[in-house]
Amino acid sequence: MTIQARHPHLLRLTDPPVILGHRCTSCSRVAFPPDPYGCEQCGSSCEDLEELDLEARGTVHAVATVHRHHRPYPTTPFTVAVIELSGGPVIKAIVAGSQVGVGAEVEGVLVQDLEDTEGNTLVDLQFQVVQ
Amino acid sequence: MSETNLLRDRPVYVVGIGLHQYQRRSETTYVELGITAARSALRDAGITWPDVQAAYTGTALLGMGSSRIMLSRLGATGIPMTQVENASASGSSAVAQACLEVASGRSDVVLALGVDKPRGGLGAAPGQAGIENLENGTVVPFTHFALLASEYMHLHGVTAEQVAKVAFKNHRNGASNQYAQRQKVRSMEEILAEPISGAMTRLQCCPVGEGAAAAVIASEEGIRHLDLDRSRAVRINASVTRTEALYGAGVGIDAALTAETGEAAFNQAGIEPSDVDVLEVHDAFAIEELLYAEALGLCPPGEAASLIESGEFDIGGRCALSPSGGLLAMGHPIGPTGTGQVVEVTRQLRGEAGSRQHQGARIGLTHMVGIGAVCVVHVLSRD
Repeated sequence: MTIQARHPHLLRLTDPPVILGHRCTSCSRVAFPPDPYGCEQCGSSCEDLEELDLEARGTVHAVATVHRHHRPYPTTPFTVAVIELSGGPVIKAIVAGSQVGVGAEVEGVLVQDLEDTEGNTLVDLQFQVVQ
Repeated sequence: MSETNLLRDRPVYVVGIGLHQYQRRSETTYVELGITAARSALRDAGITWPDVQAAYTGTALLGMGSSRIMLSRLGATGIPMTQVENASASGSSAVAQACLEVASGRSDVVLALGVDKPRGGLGAAPGQAGIENLENGTVVPFTHFALLASEYMHLHGVTAEQVAKVAFKNHRNGASNQYAQRQKVRSMEEILAEPISGAMTRLQCCPVGEGAAAAVIASEEGIRHLDLDRSRAVRINASVTRTEALYGAGVGIDAALTAETGEAAFNQAGIEPSDVDVLEVHDAFAIEELLYAEALGLCPPGEAASLIESGEFDIGGRCALSPSGGLLAMGHPIGPTGTGQVVEVTRQLRGEAGSRQHQGARIGLTHMVGIGAVCVVHVLSRD
């Protein structure tokens, strides 16, 4: 059994975890998620997109607690937030607990979720209010 | 590069409209749905199928090659037929293609048809683009819009009850629409029950069923040649399609895209937002109607909720917003929805909407957004 990231291309499983984005060397646009095709701002090809570490920390712009979900993970109810990362990009991610409100400063934590079919434990990035 | 205004230089009209009721998925085939709406539109126009020179079918879910097997049952006349897919805006894009076909002079009489039957899931291509995202799977459309509701309510001090009043109005409008999937007046208590995601409850989310909508689009020459009733013809003054651009971090794409597309349509039609009497917008989720009323310039940001509350957007109010019941009550069978909006606005502008009639309606607007994201706006008017 191994521990794997649910989103291995988007995260570095360090402490604290790091979110992987990209920066366009041609127009300097910083974006998330990393893109395998090209820059939406200037049209440069993926060779001009360099990997960029983004701090898993930001401000909550919106929250919604989800009561209906058609997949086993995550179990309902769970709460999703729109988070503006300190590094610029705006992402959507699960927040731990339903106490996170608009305007809260949050940070990423790695949370174990379901095992996959091979019995590996998957970890996912969730956000919690900055301790 | 120059920009021509085809619809100004060569007027295009809606001369016939027809629907098959929007309903829960049934045993009815899409062929039956489609030809019911098409025959109804031909009858309404007072023409026969051989008068039609081309057909565009808006559909996102049927799979390839749906038009000919369906429309040849009106007579295999051999005319060009093309399926048009633009997610939720597929039926709007069928109308847009019909407008282009007629305005270009290639045809004088064209059928725009929207038809769909939902299968398991929507099969949206962006999910297969190979671009992984953190929220993959957890942010389905109702949560995407629940997040926009959260942001809107926080920014403007609007309550969940105020947002729910959009659904209260649209269910009431749909109750007098015989083609609507939901035809019940609902209490606020019913609307606020059954939470789905954030502030969005079941009755603030549109039903995705099946149905069909048809519009016959014609030129001046077509109207003259077929001796059609000019007094019932409704002109299409603008047809604008845009896709999502970059709007800056934290800017809601749906509203920003709507604002751009709406502005281009108002310019093309040579009108102001305040000139519009009747609108059908993409109210798939209740919050959207507030966002789009503001993005289209009907009122300043943050004011739509109180205007809904005070009845300004009711039938008989300042302007009628979603008089058909909108996607929330009339339903959102995907392919038909955008064409169905043109059907409703045409009915309103003709003064033929019965108990849903917004008196004195002269200028109307239809608006759809779709996954991708795309936005299609049409402006219609009668003399």
